[in-house]
Amino acid sequence: MMALNIYGHQLDSRLLIGSALYPSPEVMKQAILASGSQVVTLSLKRQNPAEQSGQQIWRYIQEVVTEVNGHLLPNTAGCKTAKEAVTLAKMSREIFKTNWLKLEVIGDDYNLQPDPIELLNAAEQLIKDGFKVLPYCTDDLVLCQRLYDLGCQVIMPWASPIGTGKGLMNPYNLETIRLRLPDATLILDAGIGKPSDACLAMEMGYDGILLNSAVALADNPILMAKAFSHALEAGEQAYVAGVMQQRQTAHPSTPTLDTPFWHQNS
Amino acid sequence: MNIHINGKAYSLSHEVHISVSSALTLHFIEPQQSTFAVALNGDFVGKADYDTTLVKNGDSLDVLLPIQGG
Repeated sequence: MMALNIYGHQLDSRLLIGSALYPSPEVMKQAILASGSQVVTLSLKRQNPAEQSGQQIWRYIQEVVTEVNGHLLPNTAGCKTAKEAVTLAKMSREIFKTNWLKLEVIGDDYNLQPDPIELLNAAEQLIKDGFKVLPYCTDDLVLCQRLYDLGCQVIMPWASPIGTGKGLMNPYNLETIRLRLPDATLILDAGIGKPSDACLAMEMGYDGILLNSAVALADNPILMAKAFSHALEAGEQAYVAGVMQQRQTAHPSTPTLDTPFWHQNS
Repeated sequence: MNIHINGKAYSLSHEVHISVSSALTLHFIEPQQSTFAVALNGDFVGKADYDTTLVKNGDSLDVLLPIQGG
């Protein structure tokens, strides 16, 4: 596959993967390795002195990211305002020593839909502060355009709400974003359920896929991670190869010249 | 004074303010072995400022650490 460009960093894999919801830390590690991904998302939560599991997960994530020579991508999950997101981003930068940020600002608790106004506000502040912002947003063309104009070189519209596995709810919107932002790095984020969903986005010309639940909640996360890796590769190759135009009527594949004798009298 | 750390209330009868560094010792078991970051009343406080930033009556401190995420 060709390299994925994230703010000037060239990555071999076009899959970005989450670290949550796996049956165990070891399965998480093996699934991430099987996926081939070099970007792993993670988050922050309140510290509880009695609970040491957070430190254990952190050690596993560090191990796997080191092993693949990869990158951490902290998110701002749970934030509902630009101010919260900016504070959490700064805390993440100090801990994880990266200025990459998956920017999430949620506007609705029911479907975890991003708040476009707070998202733009947060992105503007964070870019000024030196962050490389990867905003998670809805599939709204104008919002994506505004984020790009602010300086977000990577845009991450949703396929469908987080964790639903519903796949690409609105392919037209996603295709239009690709068409209108040809120079942006577009990563489809959230709602991916099956490898075929990821393949479809890659066939549209998307640059990458960010997913978590589809792998972590599979019966066999490690095998599903491999399946997604193959799906992304297939979709990207199909996009580069050029998909045939759909036609309204049937066209025989087999040459009709010298059709066998049994059609001569029909 | 009364402060909150990660939502838990702490009453300190003798102090009018303490540093973030001192406040952290109230809450941590092994702070030196933990990876964490701090916000005071919703604003980030960098590690370099723990000794000089003061926590006052009614303040709220958030101490966050890494977890898995999507």
